[in-house]
This record gives sequence, structure tokens and C-alpha cells, in this order.
Amino acid sequence: MPPYDVRRTSDIVAALDRFFTERVPGARTSQVTRVGGGASKEQFVFTLTGGGGSAKRYLLRMDALEAITETDRKREFEVLQAMQGRVPAPRPCWLDESGETFGRPAAIIEFVDGVTKPRVAGKASGLGIWLGEPLRGKLKGPFLDHLVALHAFDFRRAALSTFSVPDADPKQTARWGVNYWRQLWHEDSIEPSPIMTYAEQWMLENLPECRELAFTHGDYRTGNYLFDEASGRIVAVLDWELARIGDHHEDLAWILRPQSGTLDNGRFRASDLYEPEEFIDAYQRASGRTVDRKVLHFYAVLSAWKSCAMVEGTGIRIARAQHNHQDVLLTYVAGTAAMFRGALCRLLEVGAP
Amino acid sequence: MIPSIDDRLASIIRSLTHVVLPSFGPEAGIAKEQVGMAVRHLQVIRAQLDSAPAYELEELHDARALASALLEVEGGGARTDAALTTLRDALRSDSPGDSPRELRVRLNCAIDHVIRASAADGSQAYREYLARTVLRLESVRTYKDRKWFALLGFDAQMQGDQ
Repeated sequence: MPPYDVRRTSDIVAALDRFFTERVPGARTSQVTRVGGGASKEQFVFTLTGGGGSAKRYLLRMDALEAITETDRKREFEVLQAMQGRVPAPRPCWLDESGETFGRPAAIIEFVDGVTKPRVAGKASGLGIWLGEPLRGKLKGPFLDHLVALHAFDFRRAALSTFSVPDADPKQTARWGVNYWRQLWHEDSIEPSPIMTYAEQWMLENLPECRELAFTHGDYRTGNYLFDEASGRIVAVLDWELARIGDHHEDLAWILRPQSGTLDNGRFRASDLYEPEEFIDAYQRASGRTVDRKVLHFYAVLSAWKSCAMVEGTGIRIARAQHNHQDVLLTYVAGTAAMFRGALCRLLEVGAP
Repeated sequence: MIPSIDDRLASIIRSLTHVVLPSFGPEAGIAKEQVGMAVRHLQVIRAQLDSAPAYELEELHDARALASALLEVEGGGARTDAALTTLRDALRSDSPGDSPRELRVRLNCAIDHVIRASAADGSQAYREYLARTVLRLESVRTYKDRKWFALLGFDAQMQGDQ
């Protein structure tokens, strides 16, 4: 495939006009602005003014040719629909599943006001976002409550046509998780890595059973929700593209990744909110679910493994192919692979509890 | 005499930082973000540049050490033994024209086959030996990589250890 032609704002203005001419006759779009952040989707904010004069802000999320996470806009759209009224999430409004108008698959969702990190930067702490007090105290409760509500979501009664339920056997949940990422790694890795290969074999030999399926987010952490800085209220949980029907331990392990939190005088806080044991206790109490340390260890290995596959495999390959608009970011974050390989060594040396 | 790569990179960083970045208006958020990222990237590359050839040689040295260690013990099944023979050949097949990177990739491919083959038919003793060896040597290797990339600013645990 040829290099990706990064979208100009003028192209998006024209595409939006075409899109709404058919769907909302009489409406006009304005204030189309590219949005930064993230490492995968092209995003533009715009205002849509209806025939009656009412104006509303929306976010256009569209695929580049390839991304560090290869996901489906329709699937993300379905999740956002399903979450309405359950967990704060942006309302999905329109979908261009095939990219007929925008050239690439795209979804338009309601724009939500809020921030992903304090406007005044706090202490720097690696990859994690420093919230500090009093925000930490305000966000702890909602962060946990929304996670618990999400895991309790009754996916069997929801309209989720793009999701499959891994209930053929107790290990299918973990197997699907491993197979999804190893397929990507096998297709995308630039060169083999002994620890990645060893960890892959270890995961295949140690697939845990899932006792109770849960709806999982896949990338739940500080940085992936919008909050109101004054009240500390979470106004929207973002980035649902990796959501699946799986095992709640997968989200917990991701949240507890050293790279998803902050280090404060040698003490780790997941998402800068909870110390690990405090988080596990709080989750068990709030959800009524059990946290099995052996299963949690397995998903910690998978978390480090898929993180490495993303940044060192897919990210580098698509930057080489020039298939994304964030090549410079992708090659920069590839340097984090060493952290994830280090985590794999540590986790596998220590072993499951 | 040619201008040094360090001087050239320094001038590019200065131009991007002091001329290009301030010229962006408020609407150019992502352009500003990407130029800022490019500057940070160039700063890291500038700091690593002189040490890069030695670093790649050390990576090769570590791959050879792992390959040699995996050959010290009998493997067990036919697949594992065949993969070990390929690894032994890869270790001997250094040719002068190959770069350290090419040699390392070739060795890591052969190591990859050994790990996969031993999972299929390696003896229990070999699999345990392989696990200990890979984890021990890869821990050393990844620590060096983390130190090398600590300048990126992502690895909180390595911040004081550069």
C-alpha cells in the first residue's frame, strides 16, 4: 500500500458537508479543527448547526491507513451505544462504516467537555499522568464505580452484533486474548525477541479459566477518561476500541501495569489513584467479584506482552510503511518496548503466586 | 572537513525550537505537538549517536551469549535438536560484510525457533534450563535497553539511573 495521505482540514470540511447534506438537510458545519493526542485515529472537532439554528459540537474519529491498534469503528460505535445510561460515555451519532464519504471508516460522536489531565502539569512520572490532590481523592470513587458498572454490564441482553462470547470452554477467553495479540505480533514484528517468544509460549501453556465473563474496556486508566477539573466528576470514559467480552482480571491487570500509574517516592499508584492492594480490595468489595492472584498474574503478563507487541511490532511497521499520521510519535514510543520486555522478565522470573 | 552530525542535529533542533514552533498559531495543535515530539526525538538521537555503534555491537554480543548458552545442554526431541543445529550454524556463519544488526537478527531468528521447538518436544530438563537461561540473560539485556531509552522520559524507575 502507498503511504497514507494525511488528511487536510479542508478535505474534512468538504467531506463533512457531503455527509450532512444527505443526513441532516439544511445543517451546516463550521469550526472544523484537528485534535491532537492519541496514537492511532485522526480526530477533528466541529460544530454542526441545524436548520433551527441550534449548534452542537461533535468529534469525528477516523482510521488512518493503519494504526497501532487495529480496531473497528462499528464495534466501537456499538459499545458507545450500549454504554449510554450505564457508564458515562460520548453519545455515538453517525457512522461511515465503509469510509464511503470520508475515504476511511469514521464515526461521529458527541463532543464532551473535560480534561484528561490537570491543566497545570503536576509532577512528571514516566508514562503515567500525575493527578495530585485534591483531584486524586475526588476521582478515586468514580473511577472504581464506573469500572464495576462496566464489568457488571449484561452484554447478553445488549445489541452487540460485532461481539462474540467466548463461552465454548473456560479457557477460550484467555485464548482469544492471546491469539488476537500474537496474530498481530506475528504479522508485524520487525525482528524476533527471545523474551517475547518465551512469554508467548508461557501464556499458551498457562491459559487461565474464566469463572465469570465480564464486559471489559481494554484500556481503562487515567488518561482515557474526561473529567471536570473543578468537581472531579468523570464526564466520559473514552477509547472503547479494545472493549471485549472477557475476564475482569484483564482490565485489573492493565490498570495495575507499572506504566499506567505513577511512582511517588518509590510507591506506585495505579492511574495515580490507588496503591495496588488498596485497589484490589476496593474492587472486590465494590464488585462482589473475586480477584484470583494467579489469573491476575497471567493477565499482567499478557498486558506487558501486548504493550510490547503494539509499540515494537505494529507501531514500527506502520511507521516504516508511512501508514499513519503519527509516525514520529510511533517511533518515539517504540523506545518504551524495553520497559515492557523488562516487565515480562520480572513477572516470569517471579512466577505466579 | 565536514560539519559534524552533532552540529547539524543541534542546528536543526535550534531551528525547530526557536523559529518553527513559535510560528504556529493556536489552531495548529497537532503540528505543534508533532514538531515538539520531533525535537525531543532529535535530542535523544543526538545524545545516543556516538554510542550507537558500540551499543549495536553489545546487543550482538548478548545475542551470541544467549545462543551459546542455549547450546550448552542437550535439547531432547527431534524438532528441538534440529533447531539447535540451525542455531549452531547461525552462530558460526558470521560473514565480514554483515552488519551487527543483521547478525543479531539472524541469531534471534534461530533462538526463536529453539524456544518454539522446545515447547513442542524439548525434554523437561531442557525446557527448564531454557526458561532459566532466557530469563536471566534477557533480564540483563532489557535492563541495558531501558537505560538506553531512559532519556525518552517514560521510564519512571530509570529516571535516576541514566
